[in-house]
Amino acid sequence: MTNIEAIHAASHYVKEHIGGLSPEVGIVLGSGLGKLSDEIKDPITIPYSAIPGFPISTAIGHKGNYIIGTLGGKTVIAMQGRIHYYEGYPMNLVTLPIRVMKVLGIKYLFVSNAAGGTNFDYSVGDLMIIKDHINLLPNPLIGQNLDEFGPRFPDMTRPYEPSLIKKAEEIAEKEGIKLRKGVYLALSGPCYETPAEYGFYRSVGADAVGMSTTPEVIVARHSSIPCFGMSVITDIAHATDDEDYVTDGEAIVKAADAAADRMSLIFRKLIESL
Amino acid sequence: MIKNKTMDKRIETIHTASDYISKIIGGMTPEIGIVLGSGLGRLADKIVDKIEIPYKDIPEFPVSTAVGHEGKFILGRLGGKQVIAMKGRIHYYEGYGMNMVVLPIRVMINFGIKTLIVSNAAGGVNFDFKVGNLMIIKDHINLLPNPLIGPNIDELGPRFPDMTRPYDLKLIALAKKVAAEMDIEIKEGVYLGSTGPSYETPAEYKFFRRAGADAVGMSTIPEVIVARHAGVPVFGISVITNEAHDDYAEDYVNDGNDVVAAANAAAVKMTALIENMIKEME
Repeated sequence: MTNIEAIHAASHYVKEHIGGLSPEVGIVLGSGLGKLSDEIKDPITIPYSAIPGFPISTAIGHKGNYIIGTLGGKTVIAMQGRIHYYEGYPMNLVTLPIRVMKVLGIKYLFVSNAAGGTNFDYSVGDLMIIKDHINLLPNPLIGQNLDEFGPRFPDMTRPYEPSLIKKAEEIAEKEGIKLRKGVYLALSGPCYETPAEYGFYRSVGADAVGMSTTPEVIVARHSSIPCFGMSVITDIAHATDDEDYVTDGEAIVKAADAAADRMSLIFRKLIESL
Repeated sequence: MIKNKTMDKRIETIHTASDYISKIIGGMTPEIGIVLGSGLGRLADKIVDKIEIPYKDIPEFPVSTAVGHEGKFILGRLGGKQVIAMKGRIHYYEGYGMNMVVLPIRVMINFGIKTLIVSNAAGGVNFDFKVGNLMIIKDHINLLPNPLIGPNIDELGPRFPDMTRPYDLKLIALAKKVAAEMDIEIKEGVYLGSTGPSYETPAEYKFFRRAGADAVGMSTIPEVIVARHAGVPVFGISVITNEAHDDYAEDYVNDGNDVVAAANAAAVKMTALIENMIKEME
């Protein structure tokens, strides 16, 4: 099956199971941020495992379902769990769920993730609007171009939609939520960054670092879908790591959980405003 | 002709492609290999007594699918020397493995080229660069996969090739001299190669600038690495087709057609420069 056939086969299956709904907003829920899906009304759950050709998310804190329903008065399709490159899937499978949402007709893509803060001003639990990114993962558009989806050389001047960023800032101010705004740098993982790597990323302009998101955004922008992205800072930068400092996956999921409520509120209000 | 002591499949592929070309060109022995980048194919029109060989006719060859790349070898005389030019290169972003990306270069090496000239259209990272500027590539930063990964082809070069002077200093000096004589303004800088095919984000541009890049593109470096592996001296030139911005205006638009158009305009200067350089080469 070619890439394009796989996209259409999976889209066909999802369409058959959502009873004529046409989602306007696609949402990708990152590590520990699945909570937002509880707010989706009249949800239809489609496990990835049931969709032909779909990869299965194996990451901690990622469930692996599409949830289709109503949020902020709009029909949305949320990914409860994303596919990561570090799981060993090739980029066409990592981005398959995004291509399917494009075929279903989404007009916006909202992405979220848990990220390590490289900016010294950031604290655990901070919310950061992604204003731009640096992609150190393989580019998901390598290979024959899918002309049905977009051009050979997509522009990346505005990976994140400036008008959505502005609206989110207004919402946060009204709700009394403190927001950061910064550059997200993506790399493959799965090992966490060394202190020297953190220093490198900081020196080239990154505010936060993670293992996802940019492939999804590149594929969405390939199809000219406006994107809004938000990181929950679950780990903070150290100049030189203390001897007793430990990074672990469990702590990250916990920190993300605490910040998830605020992020959910901003996503919901922003969707309402569309 | 590269020997194949180890019966390496990759050398067999080089031989198969070369045999086909040999049958067409007879006893021609090109001295200089030239790679013509996006929209820079004009130089090929200056080649006289030429023979054209489309990649699609060459056994084992990948087919270039990029905008502005026709995909053929052109052999003939330029500036009084025998040359083999690639009108259209193979890009990694097209989905080919690195062995395929560099196959045409290795075929040219197999024909015994003494010099490789590479050209490309590149985005300006250096704020001083304007659309249509020519930049001599004095060095590069490779963010593409290294084309020498895999068992070393000992017949071509060493396991760990030196990269102290990826671009030949004498050829750079010659280019500057010729440009001065022709009154062509020329920049000099570091080319950074990334995979593409999406263009860079503003944050990526900043990163590349901080890391020392003057221009950024999606090609060239694998070709240069493979040539240097085989000890072939290289000259590289970029046509700047995009200007760097710190903050992008709301109405800023970037598209591939503009790149091809800007490259076309500067190609005239580049063509004349390279032709005159070849005339003066020993």
